[in-house]
Amino acid sequence: MASNIAMAGGAAAPRPGSLRRFARARSTIAFLMTLPLILIIGGLVVWPAGYAMHLATMNRRMTAYIGLENFVILLENDTFRMVIFQSCFFAIVAVLLKALIGFWLAHMLHHIPTKGQRKWRGMLLVPWVIPPALSTLGWWWMFEPSYSSINFLVNAVGFPSIPWLGSPWWARISIIIVNVWYGAPFFMIMYLAALKSVPEQLYEAAAIDGASSWQRLFRITLPMMRNIISITVLFSLIVTFANYDIVRVLTNGGPRDLTHVFASYAFQVGVLSGNIPRGAAVSLFMFPLLAVVAFFMLRGINARNKEMA
Amino acid sequence: MSTSFVPAVRRQGSLHAERRWALIVAYVSLVLASIVMLAPPFYMLLTSLKGSAEIADLSGNPWLLRNPTLENYAAIIGSSMFRGFFWNSIKVTVMVVAITMVVSVLAAFALARMKFWGSEFLATGIFLTYLVPDTLLFLPLYQIVGGLGLLDSTWGLVLVYPTLTVPFCTWIMIGYFASIPKELDEAALIDGANWAQMLWKIFIPVALPGIIAATIFAFTVSWAAFVYPTAFITRPDEMPLTIGVVSQLIRGDTFAWGQIMAGALLAALPPVVVYAFLMDYYIAGLTAGATKG
Amino acid sequence: MIKETAPPGVTTRRATLAGAAAALPLVNVHAQGTAGALRCAFWDHWVPTGNNAMRELCGRWGEQNRVNVTLDFINTTGNQLQLTAAAQSQSRTGHDIISLAPWDVGAYSELLEPVDDVMGRLSTKYGPPNSAAEFLAKHGGRWKAISPPSGSPNKPACVRFDLMKEHAGIDVQAMWPARNERGPGADTWTWETFAQAAEKCQRAGFPFGLPMGQFTDAVDWVGALFASYGAFMTDARGNPTIRGNAKLRQAIEMTVRISRFLPNDVWAWDDASNNRALISGRSALVFNPPSAWAVAKRDAPAVAEKCWTIPMPAGPEGRFLAYLPWNSGIWAFGRNKTAAKALLEFLSERESAEHTTNTSGGYDIPPFATMSDFRVWEREGPPVGTIFNYPNKPHHQATASIAFAPAPPELATQMYIQALNTKVVARIAQGGDSLDTALGWLEREINTMRRG
Repeated sequence: MASNIAMAGGAAAPRPGSLRRFARARSTIAFLMTLPLILIIGGLVVWPAGYAMHLATMNRRMTAYIGLENFVILLENDTFRMVIFQSCFFAIVAVLLKALIGFWLAHMLHHIPTKGQRKWRGMLLVPWVIPPALSTLGWWWMFEPSYSSINFLVNAVGFPSIPWLGSPWWARISIIIVNVWYGAPFFMIMYLAALKSVPEQLYEAAAIDGASSWQRLFRITLPMMRNIISITVLFSLIVTFANYDIVRVLTNGGPRDLTHVFASYAFQVGVLSGNIPRGAAVSLFMFPLLAVVAFFMLRGINARNKEMA
Repeated sequence: MSTSFVPAVRRQGSLHAERRWALIVAYVSLVLASIVMLAPPFYMLLTSLKGSAEIADLSGNPWLLRNPTLENYAAIIGSSMFRGFFWNSIKVTVMVVAITMVVSVLAAFALARMKFWGSEFLATGIFLTYLVPDTLLFLPLYQIVGGLGLLDSTWGLVLVYPTLTVPFCTWIMIGYFASIPKELDEAALIDGANWAQMLWKIFIPVALPGIIAATIFAFTVSWAAFVYPTAFITRPDEMPLTIGVVSQLIRGDTFAWGQIMAGALLAALPPVVVYAFLMDYYIAGLTAGATKG
Repeated sequence: MIKETAPPGVTTRRATLAGAAAALPLVNVHAQGTAGALRCAFWDHWVPTGNNAMRELCGRWGEQNRVNVTLDFINTTGNQLQLTAAAQSQSRTGHDIISLAPWDVGAYSELLEPVDDVMGRLSTKYGPPNSAAEFLAKHGGRWKAISPPSGSPNKPACVRFDLMKEHAGIDVQAMWPARNERGPGADTWTWETFAQAAEKCQRAGFPFGLPMGQFTDAVDWVGALFASYGAFMTDARGNPTIRGNAKLRQAIEMTVRISRFLPNDVWAWDDASNNRALISGRSALVFNPPSAWAVAKRDAPAVAEKCWTIPMPAGPEGRFLAYLPWNSGIWAFGRNKTAAKALLEFLSERESAEHTTNTSGGYDIPPFATMSDFRVWEREGPPVGTIFNYPNKPHHQATASIAFAPAPPELATQMYIQALNTKVVARIAQGGDSLDTALGWLEREINTMRRG
C-alpha cells in the first residue's frame, strides 16, 4: 500500500523535489527488500515464541487454560529442579573450560611462526566442522561400557575402568568433555583473530619497559580482547545452555535424569510423553538467561556503535 | 619484532631462552591438543574399517586395525535408505542456502544502505533472534508445522531452517556492506544506476568474500541441524542425514558399529570437504560476528 | 511385485541387501488392477532379516486381494514410531495401519477402529490371546488393536550355562531342558536364587548384564520382577498405591539387592548394552530375546554355543514374563479400514505367524498361547534347543506381563517412558536414598504426571 501511494504521488506531480520522491521510493523499496526477513523472523521466531507462552498455560490435552499451573508443577518437581541445576552447571563449566582452553590454544598458535599456523589451525578446528550429532556418536562409542576404547587406555596406564556414562558425575563430566571438545576450537579461532588485531607496537613498548609475560597478558592482551571475550562467552553460554544433540546422543538424560538439560527434558516431557504444554513450559525456563545475555550483548553493541561513530 | 633496543640487548640472552621455551611449550600444547581433537574422528575411521567380528573381539587393542575392510562402506553406500538421507540433506541444504542468501543479502543491503523507519530497531532485532535457540522454539513449531501438514516432510525443514541461518547471515552481510565506502554508491547513483543495479554490480562483487562466508555458514548449519529434524521427521524416507544416522543406523538390539561409524563419517564429509577447500572463508565467516559486530 | 521406492533422484535398486542393518525402509507392493491402497507403519525389526517376512506376506496378500500395500518400517531407537503415532493422531492423517507401543493403544483408543470381529474369529481358531495382550489392546470392552507377531518379543533369561554352572552351581540346561517339562530344580528358580547367583557370578568376574536405565529392556525386566512380587505403583484409576505397600517395598528391595551385583554403569545401559555384554563374553546372564544370541552366533560363535534361554525367575506371586507387544491398530480416520482389518487378520493367522517367527530367527512371539510350539524354537542352534524355552510354554507356568499395569494407559505410557521403576531403584542403589525417601519421590513423580 505504501508503495502504491508513493507511485501515485510520483505520477501526479511530475517534478516535485525529485530527491524527496527518491527518498520515499527508497524507503519503500528498502522495506520490500527486508520483507522476507521480517516474515521469516515474525512468522517463525516471534510468533512461535509467543505461541510457546500461550501453550504453556494449557493442560495436557490442550483443552483448558490452567494459568501458571505448569510452571508451579515443574518447580515443585524434584526431577525438574535437578534439570535446572544441571543445565546451569553444565553451561557454566563447559563455557569456562572452552574459553580457557580456547584462549590457551590461540595463544600457543599465536606464538609459533606464522607460516606454520595455518596447518595447526586447520587440524584444531576439525571438531567444530563435524556435525555434533555425528561426532557425539563417535564419543559414545568410545565411552561404551563393554568396548570403551578410552577405558582401554585408562587401563593401560594402570587405572580401573571408568563408568563414563553410568555414574551421574562421570556422565556429567563426559557431556562436558564432548561439549568442550566440540566448542573449544571456536573460541580458539575467535581469540586468534582478536590476538592478531592487537597492535604489535603495544607489546614492543611493553618489552622496552621490561614487562613480564604475565604483565603483558594482563595489561595488554586481556584488556584489548575484553570485548570479544565477553561476546564469545555470552554467545556460547546461550548455545551451550540450549544444547540438545550431545545430551540426546550421549546419555539421553540418564542415569536417573541427572544429565537432562532444559532442551532434552522438554523433548522428553513434551514430545515423548505427549505433554506439549508442559514441555513448552520447560523450554521457556531458558528465557530468563536469554534475556540477561541479550541485555549485556546489546549494551556491548551499543557501546561499540558509539565508539565507531 | 626482532628490532633491537638498547635495554633489550642487555637481556637478550634470557629473552632468547624465554622465547625458545615459549616455542617449545607452544608446540607441545599444540601436539597434545591436536591428538585430543583428532582422536574421536580417527577412532571413528578405525571402527568403520573393521569387520563386526573384529569389533566384537575384546582381546586386542581397539586402537589397532588388524583386518581392514571396506564392507561397512559398501553396505552403507549400497543402502538406498542411506542414499535417501544423503539426498534429503542435499535437497534441504541447497534450498535453505538459496533462500537464506537471497533473503539476507536483500535485507542486509536495505538495512546497511537504505535507512528507513525502524531499520535500526530491525537490525538489532535480527541479532537478538539469532540468540533465540531452536530448542526453545521446537515445541510451538511442532504445532505450527503440524498445522500446515508439513510434519514428516523435508518441506517442513526447508520452512524452519532459515530461522537458524538468516539472522546470522544478515548480520554478517550488514557488516560487509557497511564497510563498502559510501562514495561508491553515490557515484553509481549519479551515473543513473538503480538500486538493483547497484546491488548487483557493486555490492555483491565487492562483498563476495562475505557472501561466501555466509553461504558456508548457512550450509554447515543446515547440514548439521538436529533438533528440528528430530522433532519433525519420523519417516525414514524423509530424514536428513543427522537424524537418519542417529536414529536409523542404531538398531536397538544389534551390533552395527562399523556401519554406524562409516555412516557418520560419510555424513560429516561434505562440511569437512568444504572446510578443507575454503578454510579461510570458513574462518572469516566464524569470526565475522566478532570482529564486525 | 515387490519394488523398492527410493527417494526421487536416487537410482532404484532391487532389494538384495538382506543381512545389512541398513534394511530397506520403504517397500511398495504393487498389484495389477488394484482395488485400493493400504499404507502400513510397522515396527522396524531389530533382527536384520526380520522385515523380510512382512514384505513377503504383505506382498502375497496384496496380490491376492488386489490391494496396493505400502510398508514403512519405522525404527524405535529414538522413539520414532511413537512420535509418528503422536503426529498422526494430531493431524488425523497418515497410515492406515500403525504399530503402537504397548501403552499407546490405550492412549489413542478413541482414534482406533474396533477390531472385535477379527479378534473374535482369531480367538475361535487359536484360543484367547495372552493376558498382557488383552490388557493392552482391549479398552472399554472392545479390542482396539491386534498383535501380529512381528517384532513382539518375550524377554526371558539368556544364560551362559557354562558360567552359571561353574560359578553359581546351577545347571540351567538340566533345569529347563529343551523339552516340554521341568527339570530338577526348576521349582527353585526364584528371584532369591537369582540374586544369589548374581552375586556369585559377579564375584567370579562375570556379572549379570541387566540394564537399569530408561530403555525398554530395563523397564521390562524390572516390571516383570515387580509383578511377580505383586507390587503395583498405582491402581487401575491411577491413584498411587505406594504408602504402606509392603509388596512394593519387598520388590524394590530385591531389585536393589540384585543391582548391587551388576556392572557399575548399568544405570546408563541402552537396549543394546546387554547384548554387547553377552557378546563380549563378560556376562553370565542377560534378559533378552534371541537377537543377542543370534548376533553372538555371527560375531562371537564361541559365546553363542554356550547360551541357553530359560524362563524368568518366579516370585512370591508367581512367575511373570516380560512381554513387549507391538500392537497394530487401524486409525479410525483411515480410508481403507476393511482392507486393513483383512490384512491384520491374515498376518495373525498361524501360517503367517510361523513365517514371521521363522524369518526373524525365532524372535517374534504371537499373542496366542497355542502358537508357542513352532518348530523354529526347537531347531535353532548351536546349541540346538537354546531357544526352546523362549516362548511362554505351559510348563513354565508364567504369565505375560507389562510394566506399570494396571495403571490407566495415559499415565502408564508416561511412567513407562520415564522408567519410574528403574529410577526408584537407582535412587536407592546408586543415589544412596533411603527406601522411604525414594518412595516419597515416586509418589510425587506420579502425582506430577497426573496433574495438569
